[in-house]
Amino acid sequence: MTDIPGHLPHRPPFLLVDRILEREPGVRVVAEKLVAAGEPCLRGHGPDRPLLPEVLLLEMLAQAAGFLEADSLHGRAMFLAGIQDARFQAPVLPGDRLRLEVSPEGAFGGLMKVRGTATCEGREVCAASLMVKRS
Amino acid sequence: MSDLKLRVKEMIIDRLKLEGMTPDQIEDQAPLFGEGLGLDSIDALELVLGIEQVFGVKIEDEASGTKAFRSVEALTAFIAEHRKA
Repeated sequence: MTDIPGHLPHRPPFLLVDRILEREPGVRVVAEKLVAAGEPCLRGHGPDRPLLPEVLLLEMLAQAAGFLEADSLHGRAMFLAGIQDARFQAPVLPGDRLRLEVSPEGAFGGLMKVRGTATCEGREVCAASLMVKRS
Repeated sequence: MSDLKLRVKEMIIDRLKLEGMTPDQIEDQAPLFGEGLGLDSIDALELVLGIEQVFGVKIEDEASGTKAFRSVEALTAFIAEHRKA
């Protein structure tokens, strides 16, 4: 069982990864996030029809990508340096259980490019490439 | 322009989405980063991935990158030297 708060410095309400299902550092990470009805971001987005803000899917994938690093990120820093080819194929609603899969495409000069997809019940809701700066 | 140099320029334009740019607008000797084409570190990673995908040549570390990315001329020479085919 991966110790999530021990690895990521993020904390609620901005810790957006609930569980790590599979993890092979440097190769592949599969994480899970349950979008609960009480999430703070859903309260204002929007009051009549709560909907997960799509940009948060990118943050979820970025946080999942943090687990590609073998060592804890406490005391280090990982920044999102770029987003490419982001697609949001379907709305994410309260109660949705998201599967977040990330794998690196390559690295150079302290930057890593990661391909990520978020799926809900087998259906892709988001796909994007993220450039992550490591220090 | 040599065939390989032209393909290198086409790869740069394609990979970095330099829309509207043509190979003959990229000078052989101009630096790729900073002055010259003005590329940044994210572009460098894109080029590393593009070079591997298109030419099968890996740029393993920053030292080889610094050497290879001096100019299109230098990059073409680097690819020609390391390419197996």
